[in-house]
Amino acid sequence: MSMDLSVPETWRVRGPLYRLEAARCRACGRIHYPPLPACPYCGSRDLERVRLPERGILESFTILYSVPEGSRHKAPIVLGLVRLGAARVVAEITDVDPGDLKTGMEVEAVLRRIRSDREAGIIRYGIAFRPLLRGGGGGR
Amino acid sequence: MVEAYVTGIGMIRVGRHFGEGLRSLAARAAFEALESSGSRDVDAVIVASTASYRGAAQLDLAGHIAGSLGLRGAQTLAVEAGDASGLAAVEAAWSMVKSGAASRVLVVGVDKLTDYVSSRVYRELQRLYEAELQALYDIGHAGLAGLLARLYMERYGVDRETLSYWPAMDHAHGKHNPYAMLQFAIDPKAVAKALTVAEPLTLLDSFPIGDGAAAIVIEGEPRGEALARVALALSAAGYPSLTMAEDPLKMDSAAVTAARMREVSGYTISDMDVVELGDPFTSIGVILAESLGLSQPGKAAVDAAEGRFTVGGEGPVVNASGGFKARGHPIGATGVYMVAEVAMQVSGSFPGLKVDGARRGVAVAASGDGSSTHLVLVEEVR
Ligand SMILES: [Zn+2]
Repeated sequence: MSMDLSVPETWRVRGPLYRLEAARCRACGRIHYPPLPACPYCGSRDLERVRLPERGILESFTILYSVPEGSRHKAPIVLGLVRLGAARVVAEITDVDPGDLKTGMEVEAVLRRIRSDREAGIIRYGIAFRPLLRGGGGGR
Repeated sequence: MVEAYVTGIGMIRVGRHFGEGLRSLAARAAFEALESSGSRDVDAVIVASTASYRGAAQLDLAGHIAGSLGLRGAQTLAVEAGDASGLAAVEAAWSMVKSGAASRVLVVGVDKLTDYVSSRVYRELQRLYEAELQALYDIGHAGLAGLLARLYMERYGVDRETLSYWPAMDHAHGKHNPYAMLQFAIDPKAVAKALTVAEPLTLLDSFPIGDGAAAIVIEGEPRGEALARVALALSAAGYPSLTMAEDPLKMDSAAVTAARMREVSGYTISDMDVVELGDPFTSIGVILAESLGLSQPGKAAVDAAEGRFTVGGEGPVVNASGGFKARGHPIGATGVYMVAEVAMQVSGSFPGLKVDGARRGVAVAASGDGSSTHLVLVEEVR
């Protein structure tokens, strides 16, 4: 069954999706993610793209069992609310035993397959976060 | 100045209506509303639904529904505002009547969620939240509510059992409502033990998937008896995603809506006798209540546990209908149920839990995680 994954749809959001591109307002200085046509805080349209830091703090998490169609095989899915510097992101938390999750823990961004539609031949990648290894080494 | 009155109401019980499609559900509610208003003609038909936006569904839904109700020639308009669609439709009808653009408007809220397996419904309902980027992830219909629940419990030191009193309140009220999908009480202790949906939230924290239709007639110069007066209808846009809110536990769109109601009418939400409040998930319900000023931050579940929002409490009585949790939440239709319920409370005709002496109330809901909040203020006819 096709899940209506669309190639153009993914391509349009490649900046925020793969590179954590956010928008910084030149009028009020605030950063928002994902980028909008106008600043949600002051309404200014004078915006520039900035990349969010790849390391942040897990502010909240949930273990999702009501998993949407097309991703049942991934159940349960761990989702996190991650603070990245001046902005927040909601994304999957990966490479972790749910029992080890704690709010306040440090996490880092990694590129992961987030959905796939075998019939349409589309695999969608996106940013996920994993707990930062002790010692702060990051990658393996 | 023209006033806007509720002169007719029709509702069907929220549930799994496998034998009926959108047209048939809409017709049952609409015919009942028209009959009770004392006349069959209307100037305009406004339809609230999210069904049109789902695969294979009818487009120009308002035109098709009006035509199928025998109302050819009426002005038509379809309204979609996610979880708050029904309230937005009443807002549009109120504006038309107040401005004199129409004098009799039929508002129909109708939605059908039970035709597909639940995992497909979860995928559809994910689009109630920011859909351009966030919906590319598997957030489901409960993911963001789960994130907010944990944040809420940790920030305010509210434990799981205290939070459980909110859905228990809905169920205690809803068991009396003949139109409620779930007509039974639950023990607060059972909530945490139910099937996990998005930890820490369980099935008993989330609205049941059901079909529904509700209709009301709003009229400027009633030909028959008026049940209630729609005193005010307003809304405000908020942040497109909770990730942008300065504080994810405060819904900006709700705070702005409540402040504007106070400016225009002089009332705060605590001045109400009854409140129908959109609570698709326990966390969303308490955050909305607090953002509107109904409770202090971190206190809505505590207030519910202490009985403040039930008959005999300090008030207002919240979700006498059973709320989204027990009455049910057929997405686009729900707001019309809410306005109908408040109108019946202030006219003393609600067939469920009655709030004696109720003179005014609001129906209020936010869509998703607060992309917009819509509010309708209803008063008794004096
Ligand atoms: Zn700005």
